[in-house]
Amino acid sequence: MKLRLCTIAAGALFAGAALAQDAYVIGVSGAMTGPVAGNYAPVVEAMKAYLEHVNGKGGVNGRKVRVVVLDDQAQPSRAAANAKQLLAQEKVLMLLNTSLSSTYAPMVGESKRAGVPLYFAGSVCPKETYPPADPLQFCSTAFGANLDSQAALAFVRSQAKQPVRIGFAAMAIPIARAEIDYAEGLSKTLGMTPVEKQISPPPTPDYTPFATKLKDANPNWVFSWSPWVSQVRTFEAMRRLGWSGSYITWAHLNAEEELARIRDGQFYVFGTNAFVEDNLPVHAEIRAVAARANLRYPVSYLTEGFVAGLVIENALKNTPWPPTPQKALAAMNRLKVDLKGLRGGPLEWTKENHFRTRQYYRVWRWDPAKNQIARVQDWQAIEVKR
Amino acid sequence: MQIAVNIAVLASIYALICCGYVLIYRATRVLSLAHGELMMLGAYGLYATASLFKGHPLIALAAAAGLALAVGLAVYAALMWRMTGESVLAAVLATIALGILLRGAMMLAFGTLTQHPLRDLGWENASIGLPGGARISAVGAALILSTGLVYGGLFAFLRGTRWGMRMRAAGQNPLLAAQRGIGLHGIYALSWGLATFTGGLAGMLIALDAGLESTLVIIGLKAFPAALVGGLDSLVGALAGSLVVASAEVLLIQYVDPLLSDVVPFFVLLAMLVVRPWGLFGTREELDRV
Repeated sequence: MKLRLCTIAAGALFAGAALAQDAYVIGVSGAMTGPVAGNYAPVVEAMKAYLEHVNGKGGVNGRKVRVVVLDDQAQPSRAAANAKQLLAQEKVLMLLNTSLSSTYAPMVGESKRAGVPLYFAGSVCPKETYPPADPLQFCSTAFGANLDSQAALAFVRSQAKQPVRIGFAAMAIPIARAEIDYAEGLSKTLGMTPVEKQISPPPTPDYTPFATKLKDANPNWVFSWSPWVSQVRTFEAMRRLGWSGSYITWAHLNAEEELARIRDGQFYVFGTNAFVEDNLPVHAEIRAVAARANLRYPVSYLTEGFVAGLVIENALKNTPWPPTPQKALAAMNRLKVDLKGLRGGPLEWTKENHFRTRQYYRVWRWDPAKNQIARVQDWQAIEVKR
Repeated sequence: MQIAVNIAVLASIYALICCGYVLIYRATRVLSLAHGELMMLGAYGLYATASLFKGHPLIALAAAAGLALAVGLAVYAALMWRMTGESVLAAVLATIALGILLRGAMMLAFGTLTQHPLRDLGWENASIGLPGGARISAVGAALILSTGLVYGGLFAFLRGTRWGMRMRAAGQNPLLAAQRGIGLHGIYALSWGLATFTGGLAGMLIALDAGLESTLVIIGLKAFPAALVGGLDSLVGALAGSLVVASAEVLLIQYVDPLLSDVVPFFVLLAMLVVRPWGLFGTREELDRV
């Protein structure tokens, strides 16, 4: 009897090991629950759904892709524990971070200790992914510090028919404050007059006091780069105070549905992901994948996760079997992914540049006359150099 | 004038939230750390009823308010009555556990996306012009009006009705009140019901103004210093504390640095703890109980 039990146990162990060895294993630490989950969970779920779709078509190089997702609730201590577990127990080829920037440091530490690449998908790209890049850190997230301000202010300059008096709004988190400070400096070099900068704490029960100060400075443009709640609540409060200027802000996952909700012709969003209203063939694919995986999110929220799925699929295609983190790293260092129109061009990583070699921006607004979203500016490329 | 309006709206938000902390504390001596979650549950209640009663916004609002009251009663019946006679610490820990449970349950039930109950109700948050060139949003005006009605109603209830007097008696001396035949469980359940109703109302109005998302819980906690500044066992104190904290925040945003608005409630609280630890209108003896 004992012998039979031992045999069964050994068999189960071997089967488990074989299962793990038969698959490319990717480990994700993401903010799946908690106050900021709305920004991150759709990315992880879309990425996972895409890779399940790939598995359904036979996998990558004839092997399945197994995605292990652990929830860090945007807490650094949980992210550290997740990274340790993913590396020690799951033996992942690649770590993914889809969470707040406060979770980066512990994951970077674990990634370095283990020599495993760390890929930021849906979370803010750290500066270390820009050229000259850290050997282990990669990023495909749409927004990019400094480049976004360059694109937004270039658009403002192209639209302005009179001297630009620009106001700035951001949430009191380090990344947003740094970007707004950068934009403020940049605006001066572009001949604009910065008139006011409002930094609101997260979260704020009423944005009107911040909007009042901003409106009192009488800007004809306002630029905001922050989590969506801060961007849009400041704008709405300013409108209710009677401000009639133009507002430009980053197109987060929910931008498309929010443009349709706000319906303001002077509220511009700029971003690097195509809108679902473009109705590209890849959008039909996203819809099909989302339906199959029974995802709870609107299709417009899934582009970022789909991009991450395409990136992982392509990186693994160039990772020969049996896979090791070193082989995955080598593949990621020479990656060019056709994003099928989801962005203005392919996503390309080199040994020096783990962000992308070119960043493409579009600008949209609500067209009140046509009662629909209008594209105000088509893809504009910015070369990514440091 | 605009600054005065901004102060009034922010103070109303804080006062409506603080009301729940005070009602529970003065009746049961328990500090409810699940108040933010109950507030958010009230807002999700409105989101649910707005979908259920499409085209009937007033019915949806009334149903959501009734639901909030019922949730408060249910929380007491299902959990908090078991804490009667236990140490205050045990009861506070129970509210923390309740908060964690509610947060998880709401995420499972409603997901993580921002919802817009105002749109679901078919209303718009119009801007209303006021004398002196100031403006206020329709929801902001509703917040001030609701706060006035809630506090007016509570003062009338506590001073002019038999149940209100029983509630005050139970708060002042539960043993004596029980010996005089007052059913403490009924009073405590009512205080939980009213607190969840007022907190839920605050949650609903904030969600109508700014959308409904999970950070609402944190806003519930941000109002806590206002309750302490006013005195944790005083409704008048809750009003005064909210006004002091809101004034400090708005004036700092306007004249000094907006970044200070996040920390100023705690500066005010620290100053109050140094000068008058029981708060502006709190009872001195309550401090020992805390």
